[in-house]
Amino acid sequence: MRSARRQRGRRLELRRASSLEDLEDSLFLAGGTELVPLLRNGLVRGESLVDIRDIVPRGIDGQRIGAGATLAELECDPQVPEALREACRLAASPQLRNMGTLGGNLLQSTRCWYWRLNWPCRLHGGDECFAREGEHREHAIFANDFCASAHPSDVAAALVALGATLRTNRRELPVAELYRLPSEDDRRTTTLADGEVILDVDVPAPGRSVYLKAMERKRWAFPIVGVAAARTDGTTRVALAGVAPIPWLLDGSVDAATPLPRNAYKVDVAKALVRRAEAALDA
Amino acid sequence: MARLIRTEKEVEGRYEEVWLVVEEDALEQWPAGPRSIVGQPALRQDGLERARGEAVYTADLKLPGMLHAAVLRSPYAHARVARIDLTPALALPGVHAAIGPQDIEQLTDECGFQGAAVAAVCADTYAHARAAVAAIDIDWEELPVLLDPDEAVARGELIGEPRVRERGDYERGLAEADVVVEGTYRTQVVLHNSMETHQSVVQWVGDTLEVYISTQYIWGIRDEIAQGLGLPPDKVRVVCNYMGGGFGSKNSADDYTFIAIELARRTHRPVRCALTRREENLVSGNRNATIQRLTIGARADGTLTALRGEYVNATGWNGWSSPVEGPMQMLYACDNVHTTTYGAKINQPPMKAFRAPGFVEGTFGLEALLDVLASKLEIDPLELRRRNHTDHDASDDRPYSGKNLLECYRRAEPHWSRREEVRARSTETVKRGVGMASQIWYGGGGPPSYAWIRVGSDGRATVVTAMQDIGTGTRTAMAQIAAEELGIPLEHVTVSLGDSTRGPFASISAGSSTTPSMGPAVRAAAADARRQIEEIAEQRGTPGAPLAEIVGLLEDAQILGKGARGPNPAGMQVLTFGVQVAEVAVDVETGEVWVDRIAAVHDVGRVINPLGASSQIEGGIIQGIGHTLSEHRLHDPGSGRILTTSLDAYKLPTIADVPEIVSELVDEPDTQLTNLGSKGLGEPPIIPVAAAIANAIRDATGAEVHQLPISREEMLRALREAAEREKVGAPARV
Repeated sequence: MRSARRQRGRRLELRRASSLEDLEDSLFLAGGTELVPLLRNGLVRGESLVDIRDIVPRGIDGQRIGAGATLAELECDPQVPEALREACRLAASPQLRNMGTLGGNLLQSTRCWYWRLNWPCRLHGGDECFAREGEHREHAIFANDFCASAHPSDVAAALVALGATLRTNRRELPVAELYRLPSEDDRRTTTLADGEVILDVDVPAPGRSVYLKAMERKRWAFPIVGVAAARTDGTTRVALAGVAPIPWLLDGSVDAATPLPRNAYKVDVAKALVRRAEAALDA
Repeated sequence: MARLIRTEKEVEGRYEEVWLVVEEDALEQWPAGPRSIVGQPALRQDGLERARGEAVYTADLKLPGMLHAAVLRSPYAHARVARIDLTPALALPGVHAAIGPQDIEQLTDECGFQGAAVAAVCADTYAHARAAVAAIDIDWEELPVLLDPDEAVARGELIGEPRVRERGDYERGLAEADVVVEGTYRTQVVLHNSMETHQSVVQWVGDTLEVYISTQYIWGIRDEIAQGLGLPPDKVRVVCNYMGGGFGSKNSADDYTFIAIELARRTHRPVRCALTRREENLVSGNRNATIQRLTIGARADGTLTALRGEYVNATGWNGWSSPVEGPMQMLYACDNVHTTTYGAKINQPPMKAFRAPGFVEGTFGLEALLDVLASKLEIDPLELRRRNHTDHDASDDRPYSGKNLLECYRRAEPHWSRREEVRARSTETVKRGVGMASQIWYGGGGPPSYAWIRVGSDGRATVVTAMQDIGTGTRTAMAQIAAEELGIPLEHVTVSLGDSTRGPFASISAGSSTTPSMGPAVRAAAADARRQIEEIAEQRGTPGAPLAEIVGLLEDAQILGKGARGPNPAGMQVLTFGVQVAEVAVDVETGEVWVDRIAAVHDVGRVINPLGASSQIEGGIIQGIGHTLSEHRLHDPGSGRILTTSLDAYKLPTIADVPEIVSELVDEPDTQLTNLGSKGLGEPPIIPVAAAIANAIRDATGAEVHQLPISREEMLRALREAAEREKVGAPARV
């Protein structure tokens, strides 16, 4: 027998940040398209909520993009490389893209249904990955032995392929280093510290870049597989969305994937899209 | 004159024999073809109100002092409440009452599916109620779950008796066959996901209970509640003026209504009980999954000699076993047919009727396998269907009241003949093709149903009937019928509906029955008024004078007409028919499927409002595309708990998924059926969609899909299988 008794939710304090000081112990609110549903569903809890829209840059200035820029602003700006624009355009719905910001998009949580329904899974600190044994058709085909969640961000894959770097209020780092695979000792999927805010993103102009996405319907769906590819000075970087717990820089072939019984089809889809992305760069 | 008859009553393919008092339907049908108002496109009378947000739905209703209820539902697919204590909930601020399994029969401590209602609380706000539900102290004892429908059948865990329907001698028919094809088809659980979630607002006014509810059946709700509470039915008032979608899931009062009633009784306040979107995705009903094991035998010329189907409905914890075998029994001429249908009782939320329940699923399996047969016989799929056309109901030998399926096929020819051109646009990686499927379904409606009409000295008419318009536009259709019969402009007719205390009994809006049930009653009422006006004109010595001139004499006097729906034709089968032709493109490397175009030709008798009818066809096809390609209610295979409870996880089609839709209606009145000759169109358009798409995919690629939805996984599997088959050298398409 189990006793299920939940605590009543507490009222959250909301304040508007005017400086980069004193951000510890707070949740950051920008577009709210991810945070608000997470709060509503009890997946994120906190004492105070800080509206950071006044302190996060949002302009687009050549290669430098403010983390507060919305996806809608990015998708139509000719200064933005093709892969990033297309990743924005194929993400979410127009309403969500009008609100959702670049920084928030990079920090969104997995769509794994077990995680979203608050099952006590490894990402939630538990000792089981329910998806591995259960329903995992939308889940990871790489690095899925500890946690099979799939990272949903189209934009993150594009930035990893483009070799973008982030500036936070503490440091500068390649976008790829924003992410870490969850492990037994540390279940987090990002390296962001408490009180650390992404301020802007430096996106080097590639020779060519492309983003291709497979979805379960034509619009407004997270990627089954997203493939970003960028080529600069003869070097091609390919990064995938929706195939691993974090944006996945492809090092070698998709054949190295370790699919689960019900998601091997993702390997076929990924192979086809990688082939097409590379062909598009050659064209 | 009223008379008592013994008749068969049909709703969504379920029949019962009943005694009915009916009135004669003495009116002659109008001649075929569009008239000045009926048969002409009409904008919805309430379209602007709805678009402007002025229409008050149940979800918009705020009664003074209204409390909000929240429901504690089982988080487990199978569990027993070992102990429950409501006092912590009652102690919280803003809470007015709490009820548990001991209080009303809709609350239970034996939960056979996730979402079963256990307890409920009402409070000043929904947030207070939600918090109070979370505070209820409860201990669960989890029980083993049964989820596999085949296993449930093997263990005899059934909903209802297995349904065996047999004609001729199947084995003999199989022996006569030159070719036999077999296939197993599976369909998934899909959800209605109405825009307006299931909900009720109730209040006691003296000894009368007022129930505002989003429903498809005002009178059914009234009777169900009266019976449940032991009240005289006229002490229950049921109101539904505007309705945000039902699709078959809102035919009954359900737990939320009885919860609101009990909480209102205890608190002496109005109470709202509304499902959240997550609850809507859990417990508001579903189209259950099916497994279909099918065999077709045919002669070399395509004549069907034997049909066999073993069907399993994964019904859920309760509900009923839908007529998934119906298309195999009824669609084609075949002397030897044997079907067995099981309803599997499993630990999943119960099914409810969903837009042509059973026939959508059964048509997918039958029509997909029929194309496999066509290709084996090297007969054109449309020609194969023509060769097996039947001119009477094959399942019970009754004549049809009217059938124009061959005319539908003829009108589908121009769409079907696009095949060569469509295929020719294929590339190395994107293959294109065209597929078709036939449609058969009920939709005749029936008695009783009544309407009143009043005509005033201003020459305007008000139709009064306690029916509901569930968003399909029947309010406008009724106004058209009355205006046509009276010979007055459409704008001069108002339809008052949606309130059981304001008007006579009206039909359920399910089984494509509102227009065929209500339309004849409205026309009869208008004709009654017209006759009275004509009599006045004769008394005045001006026979044939215009209506406006005669009623202009009335001052405060009014002409009151009444009308009733007459009986359906005795000994005849009243059905709807149609065919759809789908054009698709398949990316053979990624498994992506695009539906480019669907042409729909249906036969539903006389068309009242061609604009409303084309909207129904488009809506049905779009819902069918969701069913075919993206919608899938998933559960955890170990625990049976539902995983897709939000609209980002459960993928309804978006506008980008909608193809070009071409619709056409034969528009021939059914001369045997009522004074209108009209049948219903709510359900027919969704029926052939999945099969037409699956057959187009086969035409494009040679791949045979066996499962809905046709996900990337299923599409790529079917392509691999087809590639294997090609090595053996079987023909891919005809």
